[in-house]
Order: sequence, then C-alpha cells, then structure tokens
Amino acid sequence: MIEFIFILPLATGLTALALPATLGRILLLLTALLHIQLTVMSWLGKLTPTFPSYFSASPEGLLILMVTSFIFVCISIYSFSYMKETEMENKPIFICCMLLFLGTMSMVTLSDHPIVLWIAIEATTLVSAPLIFIHRSKEALEATWKYVLICSVGIALALLGYFFVTLAMDLGNINAPMTFTSLNTVALELDPLWLKVGFIFVVIGFGTKMGLAPMHTWLPDAHSQAPSPASALLSGALLNCAFLGIYKTHVLMSVAGLGDFSGNILIGFGLVSMLVGAIFIIGQPDYKRMLAYSSIKNMGIIAFGVGIGGFALYGAFLHIIHHSLLKSSLFLSAGNILLGFGTKQVQRIGGIIRHLPKTFVSFFAGFIGISGLPPFGMFISEVIIIFGAFQKHRYICVALFLLALTLVGAGICRIFMSMSYGEATDRLQIEEKALRLLPSYALLFASVALCVWMPDIVYTIILDSIKIIGGTTHG
Amino acid sequence: METYITLALAIVTAPLFPGIILKVKAFFAGKQGPPLFIKYFTVMKLLRKGSVYSTSTSFVFKLGPTVSFTTALIVLLFFPFAGSMPLFSFHGDVIVLFYIMGIGRFFTVIAALDTASPFEGMGAAREVFFSTIAEVTIFTILILFYRLNGSLSFGEYFTGETHISPMNASGALLLFVIVALFMVLLTENSRVPVDDPATHLELTMIHEVMILDHSGPDLALIELGSFYKLFFYSAFITHIICPFTFASGAVNGLIFFAILTCIYIAIGLTESIMARFKMDLVPQFILTSFALVFFAAILTMGVLQ
Amino acid sequence: MINVTESILVITLLSVLLSLGSTRLIALVKIMALQGIMVSLTPLFLRGDDSLGSGAIIFFQIMILIKGLLIPSLLYMAVKKIAIKREIEPIIGYHASILVGLVILIISVFITSHLRLSLPAGHDMVLITAITTMAAGFFLMMARSKAITQVIGYLMLENGIYLIGTALTKHSHTLYVVEFGVLLDLLVGVMIMGIILHNINSAFDDADTTLLRRLKD
Repeated sequence: MIEFIFILPLATGLTALALPATLGRILLLLTALLHIQLTVMSWLGKLTPTFPSYFSASPEGLLILMVTSFIFVCISIYSFSYMKETEMENKPIFICCMLLFLGTMSMVTLSDHPIVLWIAIEATTLVSAPLIFIHRSKEALEATWKYVLICSVGIALALLGYFFVTLAMDLGNINAPMTFTSLNTVALELDPLWLKVGFIFVVIGFGTKMGLAPMHTWLPDAHSQAPSPASALLSGALLNCAFLGIYKTHVLMSVAGLGDFSGNILIGFGLVSMLVGAIFIIGQPDYKRMLAYSSIKNMGIIAFGVGIGGFALYGAFLHIIHHSLLKSSLFLSAGNILLGFGTKQVQRIGGIIRHLPKTFVSFFAGFIGISGLPPFGMFISEVIIIFGAFQKHRYICVALFLLALTLVGAGICRIFMSMSYGEATDRLQIEEKALRLLPSYALLFASVALCVWMPDIVYTIILDSIKIIGGTTHG
Repeated sequence: METYITLALAIVTAPLFPGIILKVKAFFAGKQGPPLFIKYFTVMKLLRKGSVYSTSTSFVFKLGPTVSFTTALIVLLFFPFAGSMPLFSFHGDVIVLFYIMGIGRFFTVIAALDTASPFEGMGAAREVFFSTIAEVTIFTILILFYRLNGSLSFGEYFTGETHISPMNASGALLLFVIVALFMVLLTENSRVPVDDPATHLELTMIHEVMILDHSGPDLALIELGSFYKLFFYSAFITHIICPFTFASGAVNGLIFFAILTCIYIAIGLTESIMARFKMDLVPQFILTSFALVFFAAILTMGVLQ
Repeated sequence: MINVTESILVITLLSVLLSLGSTRLIALVKIMALQGIMVSLTPLFLRGDDSLGSGAIIFFQIMILIKGLLIPSLLYMAVKKIAIKREIEPIIGYHASILVGLVILIISVFITSHLRLSLPAGHDMVLITAITTMAAGFFLMMARSKAITQVIGYLMLENGIYLIGTALTKHSHTLYVVEFGVLLDLLVGVMIMGIILHNINSAFDDADTTLLRRLKD
C-alpha cells in the first residue's frame, strides 16, 4: 500500500481545514513525522503498490521522495514557530495547503503512468498557489497569478507531449500498458519521430515548472513572494518533482536509442539556465530573489549533468540532494532575516552577525555550500559533473559552466558580505528562536554528513536510478 | 410550368415575409403588431400617391428607384426557387447577378448623391463601404461553391447532378456558409444589428437615409426592390440548408416556403434580441462572416483536396 | 446523412473564430460553454457506438457537465463579480485577431497535410481543429490583457490538447480514471484562477494584467 504515502498528507490536509490553527500545527508536524516513517518503510521495500498500473516505487522517485520528506520535516518544525510569529489571515488554509502540497509531491514521485504524473504535477501547482498569496499583498497576488498561469500553460504542453508519446506507441503497434516501466521495455518499437516531438514538449512543459530558462519567469517572483517555509518547499522539493518528469521521459528516450538527442536538449537548456541565473544574481537587490535565481542556476546544473550522462549523471543526482538541503536551509535562514528586519532589500540589511548571530552561522554555512565550496556536498557534485563533462569531451560546455559558477560565486559573495557586516538601516523586530534555527542546522548537517559518509542504501538507490541509461558512480 | 408558378409565387409573396419579421418583433415586444399584409398596404398606398421631386435633382434621381427595382427583379429570374429550373440560366450567371445587384446599389447611391443632401451622402458612403466588405464574403462563397460542385450558376448549384447539399461529403462546411450568408443578409438588407430600418435619426442610418427624398411610386419601387433582395438572400440560404430534390413540385414548394418562413423568423429573432452595433463594429461583423467562409474554403482545399 | 462529427468540429472552429472576434466577456463565456460541449462530444462520435461501455457514458456525461456547465458557470460568476463587461483595449485589435485566426487555420491545415500521418479517415479534420484551437488559445492569452480572457485562452488551449489526445491516439491506452483526473485538475485550476482573479480585482480595482508590473528585475 505505497499509495498511503500520498493519501496520508492529503487526508490530514483536508482535516486541517476543520481544525483550529494550534491543533493544525501539531497535525502538520505529526504528518511530517509519519510521512518520513512511511518513506523509510518504502525504502526498505516494505510497501508495495496496490495499483501497479498507476504507481510504482522507482529508485529515482524514492530518492526524491526521501529528500522531500526530510525537508518537509524540517520545514514543519520551522513553520511551527513561524506561524506563531507572523500574521496570517487564514492559518488553517496555510496548513492545509502545505500538507496537500506534500501529498501531491509524494504522488509525483510515486506515479508510474505518464498522465498520472502529469496530473500530480499540475496538482502541485494548484495546491501551492494559495501558499504564495497567503499574505495577500499586491506583489504576492501578481506572483501567484504568473505562477498559476505560466505553470498551467507550460504543464498543459507537457500533456500534449505525453499524447505524442501515446501516438508513438500507436504507430509502433504497441499494446503494453502505458506506464514508464512497461514503456522502457518496449522503447525500441516506439516511433522515434513522435517520441522526439513528445520529448520536446515534455521538456518545455515540465521545464517551465522546473525553472529552466527561458521559461523561468514565474520562479523568482513566486519564490520571493511566498512565505519562507513555502519558498523552501518550492525550491527544495517542487523543482525536483518537475525534474523527475523530465528525467523519466529522458530515460525512455535513452532506452529508445535517442539519448543523444534528448541529452543535447537538456544540455542546452541547462547552460542557458545557468547563465541566466548567474547574470541575474549579480546586482540583485532582493536576497530572496537572489536565492530564487540561484535555484534556476542549480536546476540548470542538474539538467546539464543529466544531459551529459555517464559519470556526470551521478553528479547530477548528488546535486539534487545537496541543492535541496542547502537551498531550503538558506530559505529558512532568509525567513529568519526577513522576520527580523522586515525587508527583502539587501541594502537595508546589515550586521546580521551582530543582530542574529545564530542565524548568521546557518546563513554563512549555506552560502559557502551554495557557492560550491567544501565541505558541503555541492562541491563534490559540481566537481563530478565537470569531470564527467571532460570525459565526454564537452570542453566548451565546461567553459560556460565554469563561467557561470564564477559569476554566481562573485554575485553571492557581494550580497552576503553586505548583509552580514555593514550597517543596518532598519531595526531588528523579531528575535531568532531555537525552533527556527534547528531546521536549517539540521539540513546543513545532513549535507555535510552525506559527503563524509554516504549510507550504502543511498548509494545503491542512486546507482539504480542512473544505471539504466548508462550512468556510473566512478570516473 | 413549375418554373413560372414558383417565380410568380416568389414575386407575389415577397412583400408578405417582411410582415412576418414585424410580427415576430411585435411578439417579443409584447405587442399586437401590424397585420401580416402590412407591406402590401404600404406599397399600395405609395403607388396611389404622386411623386415630389426637388428642383435641385436631375434625371439621375428619377432613374435610381427604377433601376434598383429592376435589378432586384432580374436576379429572381435566375434563381431556381424550390428546386425548379430557373427561367434563365447560363454558366457564370452568379457573377453577373451579383454585379447586377451592384448596379442597383450604384444607382441608389448615385440618386442619393444627386440630392446633394449631406445626410444622404453620408449614408451612401457607409452603404458602399459595408457592401464592399460584404462582397468579399460573397465571392469567397462563390469560390467555395465552385470547389464543391464546379459550377458558376444558381441553376447548377441547386438543381444539377452534383448539387450543393449538407448531406454530401464536406457538407458540414456549409454550416460556415449558412452562418456567413446570414450575416451578409443582415448587412446587405440593412437589418439589425448592422442597420436599423426603423430608426428615426438620420445620423445613425445607413440605407434608409439614402432614400429620404424619394416619395410616392418611387419609394414603392425601392421598397419592393428591397423585399425582392431580402427574398433572394433568404431563398439562397434556404437552398443551402435543404436541397429540393423531392419528387413532387408541390412538396418542394411547401418545404421551401416553410424553411423560408423560418429564416424570416430567425431575422425577426435576431432583431429582437440584438442591439444595433456601434458603427465601428460593423466592419468587424462583416469581416467575421468573411473569415467563416474563408475557413470553409481553406478546409476544402486542405482536407478534401 | 449529415456527417455529425464534421459538423461538431465545424462548430468548434466556429466557436474559436467567434471567440477571437467577440468583445463582450459574457459572450465569450457562452462561446466557451459551447466549445466545451462540442469538444467533449467529439470522441463519442469519432469512435462509434461499439466501444462504448457504461463507464464511458458516465464519464462523458461528467465531462460535458464539467466542461459545458461547471467551468463556464465559474467563469460567469467571475465575470459578474468583477463587473467587467468588455475588453476595451485589447493588446491586439479584433480585426487583426480574426485575421490571425485565419492565418492560424491556414498553418494548421498546412501542418496537418504535411505530417503524413496514417490517420484514420475523418481524423484530419480533428487534427486541424485541434491545432487551430490550441494556437488560438495561445494567441488569446497573449493578445488580451484582461485576466479572465487569459483564463479562457488557457481553457481553449486545454480543449485543443484534449482534441489532439482523442484524434491521435487509440483510446486503449488512456483510462477513464486518468482522464477524469485531468479534468479534475482543470476544474480546480479554473477555480483557483477565479479566486486569484477576484483577489486581484479587489486589490487593484481592476483585473487587468497590464497592472501586474510590480515584480521585475
């Protein structure tokens, strides 16, 4: 009954609507804990799908499920304190949407049927929209509108893409059930032309949701306007889910012998996203937007790594894990700063090291990590991707990759320095709290720990996810 | 024989149908409405009167009503009412006929200009502008029909071997034509929502303003001409909706007049539920009709080869 | 007899064209209702009666209910609530829009005839309609500034995609449960968009997307 993983949060989410906010917060935490427990059970293979024609436990899905679940536990602890300290018109809605968001994202990771996957991804858009405009400012409304409309249209194109895949099945006279698992076994019989067309639409569609440039326009707005716990979820978990849709289709393409075609498309989108992210980070006056652009850049890196394949694929999967951990930690720290200073403008913030010393530690560590410096995992994953690209003789791509990384490093460093030191123009409003610090510490710690000691089970599951299209875990 | 009977019926009954429109409109307004034969009475009344001519007008002004009436009548002679053979027919007659109607309009316009009244000049300009756009629609319909059955005459359209009918392959496209032709009908015959025949303000008139100076028998001729024109367009649509290929002429005739009545009722309905367009929306309305037919024409080329 | 499928498709095309030219929002909503019903009817007539189980019939009824009644009434409520009657200043004018509609149609005819797909007889027309509907939906989203028209454009896009789904694929692959899920997403999507629309309207005093210019780099 693996479906229970997403049914549970969906059910508790709806229940939360009826509960007062104080009980709702406890429910949020409880569900998060139960959810991670179920996830661990599914990793151990104790849960089997009841509807195998729609759902299955694929290794890549399980990996992203675990990341999502872990982040959600941290975020729910954070929200526990966050909700007490911010003014929110409708707290039950917030809790409900957080839980539904978790539920739909879990559904994405578990679905095996392309259209069920599509339904789940579209559902994540819909349930996360209220999270963004929970504060109801004009900016938040604008961000939500862009988010819902751009993502819905984009995802609609992905549906079209999957219809083309169905057409490829028809032309190949395949009578297998339409699931990724069974399609991978008959991939060679699929009509290649329509498979290619389908893939292009899927990449454009889910790429919109994943934040690949040039379809990324909604992302900085939504991530900067959403309340910090929601931003952390959007960036740390949602983007991965959209990536999963692209990855599963890419696997299908590779098995069908079209891996070069799809790989090159991914590399192209990846490089463009990295450069766009890097360019907009430099001189960004809003630190949450800066983090959002950094997400675009990192999604670009992941797409790039997947496109290169081989060893770089391993790097890409490591990058997913570490990016999620570090970025959600950073968004949580940014949430503390936002609560403390009441502004998102870099210029008006200064002296975090004096005013919020504990937040400074997590903020600092997060920046070290996101810039790709040791001891955090992003260093390793980026090195592996560069190494993998060298192996495939993609020298120009590597040059662009390094250029983007340097630009990002410089941009981030400038913003971080002026925020941490310097003089504050605004006064501190809300002090930092232990409950709002522990989650970011935990996420950072997880990233470091995974570098030092990667459990065998994580290693095997990454290997299982990538070996079908020729990914290796050693250069 | 059938030809003469149907033609005679058409000529005699044409003024009856606008009465139906008035009845429908009255019904929607919750009124009794004028009697069905009102238009006959009007024409009779006008014919009994004498004509008044402004001293500033020339012979052109007197020519206008006669020509416009005659052209409308000529068109009827070529039309295969109720599936009977038309009185005259030759290959390409549709083109000639639409231009004959053009001549009629030309003389109406030039008669209006002859009065040198600023209102009439304005009406003439509008009339010419709108019917120019409508002409595009009509000729696209002709192109479409040529593609569908390869002929260029009303007789062959509706009585020949490969007559146009919604039952044929690609008959669904005729749906476009019917809607578009109905829009053209409203435009060409100055009905609501393009023009309002019952309006009282010269500034907003299109067709009516051009005939303000005509009186007596002249006005009667113009009125009759407009009845025939409306009758022609309605009959055209009727034939597209239903090809009259039943065995008996009487059955054909009955069904023909039944559908024709429905079309007039539809006109009445449109006039009751729609308000008049602002003047700048009219070209868009006609353009839409053109787009519809163009759609159909493209589809015949693309799909049905 | 009259070809029902073709007539339905022609009506769908008609609705696309009218929606490009219509100035009143209420009229646009009504056109969308008609289009929704036509689109949901298409697969019924396309496939014939033999393959229709009772599940399918219930599904199509629900579909007509959602696409033809529920979604349009949601839109209708939104239009009434935000009290805008017409689009005064579209980004691209109505005459130009209609002409664009024609160009879109020509292109889709061109695409269809050059795809050389082994489509079953009569499916060409479905493909043409589908591509036209999709492209027109896209165009509507770009050419109009009122938020509600953009939602309608999105719906048209979805209708087109659904038509492609029915036109191109044999229906053995997709299951009704799955299609129902897609439909549900669409419904909830329109609902959420309606809520945001309402909020935008009360925050900005107008639901016009040209006002949404606050966030940029």
